[in-house]
Amino acid sequence: MAQHPVTYILPDELELEGLKKILSESNRLSEDGPVKVRQTYFDSYDWRVWQADGELFQEQGEDKRLCWVERRTHRQLTCQSSDSAPGFAETVPQGQLKERLAPVLEMRVLLPLVHVNQQRNSLRILDFEEKTVARVVLQKNQFSAVKGKNRGDLEGRILLLPLKGYESEFEKLKRQLASLKLRQSEKSLYEDALQGIGRKPGDYSSKLNFRLDPDAPAHVTARQIMLSLLDTLEANIEGTRANLDSEFLHDLRVATRRTRSAMSQIKGVFDPRQLEPFKQGFGWIGQITGETRDLDVYLLNYADYRASLPRAIQDDLEPFHSFLLEHHKTAQAELVKKINSPHFRKTLKSWRSWLEAPAASGDQTPNAMQPTARLADRRISKLYKRVLKDGSNIGADTPAELLHELRKDCKKLRYMMEFFQSLYPKPAIRRLIKALKVILDNLGEFQDLEVQAKSLEDFGAQMLREGAPASALMAMGILVGQLLQRQQQARAEFVELFSAFSSESNQQAFKQLFGAA
Amino acid sequence: MHIIGVYNIKGGVGKTATAVNLSYLAARQGYRTLIWDLDPQAAATFYFRIQPKVKKSKKLLAGKIDLDDVVKATDFDNLDMLPADFSYRNMDLRLEDAKKPTKQLLKLLRPLSRAYDYVFLDCPPSISLVSENIFRAAEGLLLPLIPTTLSLRTYQQLLDFLQGHRITGLELMPFFSMVDRRKRMHLDIMQNFPDAHGELLKAQIPYASDVEKMGIHRMPVQAFSPNCFAASAYQALWMDVQGRLG
Repeated sequence: MAQHPVTYILPDELELEGLKKILSESNRLSEDGPVKVRQTYFDSYDWRVWQADGELFQEQGEDKRLCWVERRTHRQLTCQSSDSAPGFAETVPQGQLKERLAPVLEMRVLLPLVHVNQQRNSLRILDFEEKTVARVVLQKNQFSAVKGKNRGDLEGRILLLPLKGYESEFEKLKRQLASLKLRQSEKSLYEDALQGIGRKPGDYSSKLNFRLDPDAPAHVTARQIMLSLLDTLEANIEGTRANLDSEFLHDLRVATRRTRSAMSQIKGVFDPRQLEPFKQGFGWIGQITGETRDLDVYLLNYADYRASLPRAIQDDLEPFHSFLLEHHKTAQAELVKKINSPHFRKTLKSWRSWLEAPAASGDQTPNAMQPTARLADRRISKLYKRVLKDGSNIGADTPAELLHELRKDCKKLRYMMEFFQSLYPKPAIRRLIKALKVILDNLGEFQDLEVQAKSLEDFGAQMLREGAPASALMAMGILVGQLLQRQQQARAEFVELFSAFSSESNQQAFKQLFGAA
Repeated sequence: MHIIGVYNIKGGVGKTATAVNLSYLAARQGYRTLIWDLDPQAAATFYFRIQPKVKKSKKLLAGKIDLDDVVKATDFDNLDMLPADFSYRNMDLRLEDAKKPTKQLLKLLRPLSRAYDYVFLDCPPSISLVSENIFRAAEGLLLPLIPTTLSLRTYQQLLDFLQGHRITGLELMPFFSMVDRRKRMHLDIMQNFPDAHGELLKAQIPYASDVEKMGIHRMPVQAFSPNCFAASAYQALWMDVQGRLG
């Protein structure tokens, strides 16, 4: 069985000399150090490395190395020299680390989270050939924030590092140190350092994860949901403004859409006249962020677009890439202007104060005082029935508009199920959300590919006016053809997918969870 | 996983020093690296201060235990070793008993492909069933050549052998080793050989006392004398190899 490193907290009274004395009683020792290094920990804004059971740091000592540590076992899985600070996965040099990072990060950028300044002394346990058979590392650590002056001491640590093939020596070392009654550290150095700057791994997620009280009045729950969405939206403003990566804007837009959906779908809870200006405000936010997001999507797809063309004409697409980059720049500048505008700030500020204002008793609206669970049951059942009815009516000749309508309703249903999922047994509701997602993906593909094909035509016309070469337009023409073909395929698959979704067993499951409306 | 054999029919050409130093460089670059000392003389094992003894080596060759169970960590990050064992001197006999005797090594190495990026095989000199196994397992073969007539002759022997046994797709990477620029013959051969052998790597390893001192320090040359001439020569060689294997 593979052995894992063991970490103890260094007691105040134990110093290097003391430890050396204990270990040298029955071991040959060699000492390295002291070495001073600075580690900078990285993750994406939504903690993807952490979620993938990893900790990623760049260590600067004699040379610069980027290392991935497996959280569960504290083993360093890969370490490679890297001179520049890591950013997007594609900027990481080829190799083991990139293979690990790329699928985890996708489009997200790595951001520096916290620094640890470390002084370490290493003791090597040697055999009679002076071969190292185990290592003991004494660390003294200090954290410091990436921005600002927040810094401080962390507990010192003793690390015992096993070496493959020397298992019994490692066990012996552990036994020798047992008399010291050292306390194993529960948290990693990284977690300690994060705590120092007031952060916690996973403290941001774009996923909905409310814990709702089924008996709470609906208006209280609705505010809770909307406030949390507002927090998410606001958390993404800074990154959107700086365009750190495209997910900030995406998450901001999703929070906006969910807020609008919550306003319209959690019905009869608030006075519609009071909600109206906010509905307009969030509609506006959706609007001003649209163009940049669209261009983001084309830029994210660009590599796939290019790869889908015959090799001989792949380079012809390059003017399209330049076109996208240029227009993205303009759209982003325009977006930043809007985000910095008083109107944007005021919209969010007044929404927050409205949500946080002491709840009026809510007796003017029919559902305000209803228990949350009942309202959720009713709304979800109703939306589900509508989806079921409209979806079943769709055949081969149904006009595209009706599929688009169905998509909107499916989205509303999905949001409602996600808002209220904590009220239902987890596996059951997860399964139904997943089933719904299959339909949504299909409908999304059908609509998005059409929109993409249309936009490519528009971009082409615009590029023509700007003097783009004919070869670029012809390559784009091929893309349009491919997109429309895939769109038709999605359309052809719909009926079968929907009939799976509306199966008797799914209908029963919906009924069981949400009752009959 | 890239498998690289370091080989020459002739001994004493700087073969083990190459395997030790290049595996160290690969590991230092962040690649998970394994060096397998297949030479019963156990020089590579000695350089890493590891005991030249493999528990149950017979069972290992019979495929009854995993290679991973007998791997030892070296003193360097990312670099593991399969130590030599005196019983390897009989490896030929054992291989002969197996089914598909020329592909046993590859079979043993295959399960390690997820654990390592590079595997270096420090091969025993001479042409035998063991070396044929190595030729069939490796992606590339590093061949240290001393610029002497005799050494070149052994290279030709190897080429003939490979052709005779229809071993194709093996990237041959000869390079000049133990080069002494004071010797007329070395210089002459180094000038003429490349004309007929485009596969020759550019980097050359000098005859240097630092390489010999590896036996005193018992570690790769970069680890005790990172700035010496020999250390840079191995660095250049490693770059060449990476360029060739892609």
